[in-house]
Amino acid sequence: MSTAELPVDYEANTKPDLGQHAVLLAAVSLIALVGNTVATDATVIQGLVGLAVLYVIAMVGLVLTHVVPINLPSVAWISLVGILATLPWTPGSAWVLDKVSHVNFLTLATPCLAYAGIAITRREISIAKSSGWKLFIVAVFVMTGTYVGSAIIADLFL
Amino acid sequence: MEKTKDILLDWRLHLSVLVITVIAEAIGVIAVPIGIGSILLLPLLYAFVMGLILNPNVIRKAEGWMGQREVRAASPLIVIAIMPFIAKFGTIIGPSMEKIIAAGPALILQELGNLGTILLAFPVAVLVLGMGREAVGATFSVAREPNIAIIADKYGLKSAEGAGVMGVYVIGTLFGTFIFAILASLLATSGWFSIEALAMACGIGSGSMMAACSGALSHAVPAMEEQILALAGASNVLTYATGLYLCIFVALPVTEKLYDLLGRKEPAASNAGE
Repeated sequence: MSTAELPVDYEANTKPDLGQHAVLLAAVSLIALVGNTVATDATVIQGLVGLAVLYVIAMVGLVLTHVVPINLPSVAWISLVGILATLPWTPGSAWVLDKVSHVNFLTLATPCLAYAGIAITRREISIAKSSGWKLFIVAVFVMTGTYVGSAIIADLFL
Repeated sequence: MEKTKDILLDWRLHLSVLVITVIAEAIGVIAVPIGIGSILLLPLLYAFVMGLILNPNVIRKAEGWMGQREVRAASPLIVIAIMPFIAKFGTIIGPSMEKIIAAGPALILQELGNLGTILLAFPVAVLVLGMGREAVGATFSVAREPNIAIIADKYGLKSAEGAGVMGVYVIGTLFGTFIFAILASLLATSGWFSIEALAMACGIGSGSMMAACSGALSHAVPAMEEQILALAGASNVLTYATGLYLCIFVALPVTEKLYDLLGRKEPAASNAGE
């Protein structure tokens, strides 16, 4: 399989250069801090501390991606670190929870989607244009079918 | 480190994202009531639309502000920008671990719901829209990166099946967050399913789809926010863990069988997508 043919891997694994990630992660955290200050009642200091804690969690996850010889995407490691840090029986979990509680969850996704909009390439637009309407209809049914299918089965077994 | 400097030096890109974020968050969530429920318009959706407007590939006039260089620089940042979000996600799942374990069997079995796309979308593609082999690639899964890899591996991306999976991938990238947010808010207010079930179903797609979907859901039912996010997150992790195998061993073979039954009989004369 030639990887050159694959589209840009938006949310897939990338082999991180830790130094680069540390700098860029700090930059997006700053953008998120401004967003959080606009979106919530939290003070800049509260937001800053909360984002600093999340930054540390993300960096630990990135280091693990680098060090552990199991091929998992970095986002999987990061969420694992976040989970472990806040399990009820983890020492200090109450402190972590208190600090990150000042950061709004959905606001953190806003800069990401802005980058995603800017990153759409000509090739992706031409695919959408050329086989447009049929694929659009099919895609809506694909997503609806998957979502409703999962909801039905989950509902049955709850 | 040269590359880091390069990416940071794309200041127009980062400044644009900063301004977009501020505008999007200042507008805030807007609920649009329609018939059986209401559609929630979230700041992350405005951010995506504003990003598209500044994208020179979408709006030619944006060229004056940003060029292909910024477009290229933006794509690695998508993954980095989602990291604080994922970290926060983890901190929501952790305290709810007991609830997740209690929901265990439903969580694992709902992965089978991914097959719903074949039941609903495949007949539409083949019988209504008259698609050829593209339909196999387009409808066997929700068409995210792992699914593209499966098709690329088996048929190649230049094949009809490849065109199908790429098409749905692109539409999903462009509109997936919208579609999932709308589905979630409509179904949440309709009362047809339990909120826990809808939350688990939010985990089936990409990270940004899950964000939009669980965000819309928790805005519709604010009292259950923590539980919604925890279940959606756990389901998303499971999707990454098990979804690939479900696709390889069940979804793709079933789609192939269905194509033998319902599809066009002449061999691979691809003409869909005109």
